[in-house]
Amino acid sequence: MKMDTPADIKRMKSSLLSNIRRSAYVYRVDCGGCNGCEIEIFAAITPIFDAERFGIKVVASPRHADILLFTGAVTRAMRMPALRAYEAAPDPKIVVSYGACGCSGGIFHDLYCVWGGTDQVVPVDVYIPGCPPTPPATIYGFAVALGLLDQKLKAKTHIEGEGEQAGIAHPAVPYNVRIHIEREARRMAGYRQGRDIADRFLGMLQIPGDLPLQQRVETFAAAETDPRLAEIYLQIGETLQHPELRP
Amino acid sequence: MNINVTDRVGASHIEYLRQKLPHAVLEERWQTDKQVTVTVKLNQLPEAVSTLYYGREGWLSVVVGNDERSLNDSFGLYYVLSMEGEEKCHVVVHAAVPSDNEEFPSVTPKVPGCVWGEREIRDMYGLRPVGLPDERRLVLPDDWPEGLHPLRKDSMDYRLRPQPTSDNENYQFRNDAAGETTVVPLGPLHITSDEPGHFRLFVDGEDIIDADYRMFYVHRGMEKLAETRMGYNEVTFLADRVCGICGYAHSVAYASSVENALGIIVPQRAQAIRSLLLETERLHSHMLNLGLVCHFVGFDSGFMQFFRVREKAMTLAEMLTGARKTYAINLIGGVRRDILGEQRTKTLQLVAELREDVQRLLEMLLATPNFGPRVAAVGLLDRKIARDYSPVGPLVRGSGFKRDTRVDHAFAGYKNVNLGVHTGDGCDVLSRTMVRAAEIFDSLSLIEQLLDNTPEGPIINEDFVYKPYQFALGFTEAPRGEDIHWSMTGDNQKLYRWRCRASTYANWPVLRYMLRGNTVSDAPLIVGSIDPCYSCTDRVTVVDVKKETSKTIPYKEIERYCRERKDSPLK
Repeated sequence: MKMDTPADIKRMKSSLLSNIRRSAYVYRVDCGGCNGCEIEIFAAITPIFDAERFGIKVVASPRHADILLFTGAVTRAMRMPALRAYEAAPDPKIVVSYGACGCSGGIFHDLYCVWGGTDQVVPVDVYIPGCPPTPPATIYGFAVALGLLDQKLKAKTHIEGEGEQAGIAHPAVPYNVRIHIEREARRMAGYRQGRDIADRFLGMLQIPGDLPLQQRVETFAAAETDPRLAEIYLQIGETLQHPELRP
Repeated sequence: MNINVTDRVGASHIEYLRQKLPHAVLEERWQTDKQVTVTVKLNQLPEAVSTLYYGREGWLSVVVGNDERSLNDSFGLYYVLSMEGEEKCHVVVHAAVPSDNEEFPSVTPKVPGCVWGEREIRDMYGLRPVGLPDERRLVLPDDWPEGLHPLRKDSMDYRLRPQPTSDNENYQFRNDAAGETTVVPLGPLHITSDEPGHFRLFVDGEDIIDADYRMFYVHRGMEKLAETRMGYNEVTFLADRVCGICGYAHSVAYASSVENALGIIVPQRAQAIRSLLLETERLHSHMLNLGLVCHFVGFDSGFMQFFRVREKAMTLAEMLTGARKTYAINLIGGVRRDILGEQRTKTLQLVAELREDVQRLLEMLLATPNFGPRVAAVGLLDRKIARDYSPVGPLVRGSGFKRDTRVDHAFAGYKNVNLGVHTGDGCDVLSRTMVRAAEIFDSLSLIEQLLDNTPEGPIINEDFVYKPYQFALGFTEAPRGEDIHWSMTGDNQKLYRWRCRASTYANWPVLRYMLRGNTVSDAPLIVGSIDPCYSCTDRVTVVDVKKETSKTIPYKEIERYCRERKDSPLK
């Protein structure tokens, strides 16, 4: 079912990039996306991000297109329309697969009514990942497609040294208390902010001093200007009174 | 079922049903204090649904099919009615189809709004609605083999991909016009927006006599996915991806359906955060639609301006959730991210800026001479048609019906806020647009109200266990209208059944009536006015039935014609 690119088209494609000398026209093919990608492409071509300043213009017909932008996992019903759009675009053309679903089928990759990512149906040149990709990522992807920028690849390999060990955060606080504080902070403020709050609270606990715990928590909370944070600190302090957590 | 239900809102509806149809009701089960499921005899199903629908101001929300053969040797049919008369609640009419019968009496002849739901049940379960006037496929693609029904538990693995039966679309389009007409197909691919859909306009000269459409080009099989590959919490993130524009509304509807089924109490603060984010989503969605309306009437600088201002709503979402779209904030029992003082301050600032910007843009739009007269009295949605088909959101509010889930069935944080319902009585594109414009200011005010009185306490409740085979509804008011989900828990830490009905699903069936009697140049405007996650089409092929010729017109041409209304491309 998948289509191949003949050798002469491949050659023409590389010359297209160096000889284009005008705006690149983009045609969008929605193969079964949820609109998240479409709406971010919209955002990318409207005033705040304004992809047109780089000469990237969305056009109304595949017959005008240099770049075809495929979004969404290819559904059964969209297979033929997508292929027709691909065939309608003049060679040489660049195919961009957009979004998590376009790149791989995403969350829908193995479903009964889906064929998978764009590359299951047509040959793809550039992948723009994201769910959905942000407008800056979109513009970056276009720049890669046009040969203005290279694909950004960053790889870092860490080789473990002898006896190397990751340090424990807040080693002075007993294990069960630490776990308890992290859980409570996340229950009160969620995963992302709970982690920060737990760190700050544990940092406070590690400062040496002889005041009783409750008093320290109260002073710490009183110094906080954000009332919600103060509430969370007091709540964590309160749960620390639990008998199981006493040393 | 939930035995703690004490205050039963809606008991009078059941009483009414028992009086009207003395022997029909077999059983009543309460899921929450405002949700009841009544089991009726299968042969009295149409009467039971229509009695509640027309007798007690019920509106059809969704029709759910369920393969319950492993539980009680039958298929379940659930007709969900939103009761919006005196006692506001949800009544679900349930009937069991014996597994050896595979037929049920169609409700559509009595309540036309059931048509899509019953066609879907026919596709997905292979149950035949006897008397259904329209037995074409709805959901499954044209190249799907006959007799394979994906949602039957024993029919297939969720990964099975049968060979396509044909390479051509072979859907039969309906034309109710009396005389000869010309066919104008639109789609499925199109330029400026979203979902693929294929339209056939049957025209006589410039006038649309009838219209038909083929949707579900993007049917992927999410409901089957939720039953097989995913656990309860994963589905909240899947629900975010039902729609890229109003996905969060789906996520909340799904999470609350499971919470209602299991009687989980969601902390007040989490409820407020959910409402706040729903309003953020409404802001960006309504501004998107207002921008598109500008585009369709040929006011392109307005389109760009609305998109410029809309970015502030996107910034707001990104700041509060970490993502511009697909917020991924819900879990069963609460939310994953709090709103701290710093974010509160920034939100209030953005809200103030948005209020000023939108006000200025609206004044500009309304003062533009080609706006008002261009959209007034176009795309009329007759009140009778609206009552029969149960459309939702700004579409039905633009025809004078006060339907808003946030007010009728206050969920999440909407119990504690001050909110009215905006309606218009023009029944036209103008009314719908004005309703949306007014709702932007409502959303801004709601965000401020919610931030002023955010309850204290935790944002998630993890103190519950999953029990098998509990079911309930969850609902939200998405920017396009009511989203409703019906979930049944399974015995393997997965859903047994998840039915997700997006708001536009309820709005498509009336589009046909809105298109009739208008001209070809109004079509994109009317389709855009239901804000259908779809706005226009890539190209138009005109088939002249009489001359047997066809001519392809570029999309830009029909769009230009919509704006300028001269030099018809049909000539």
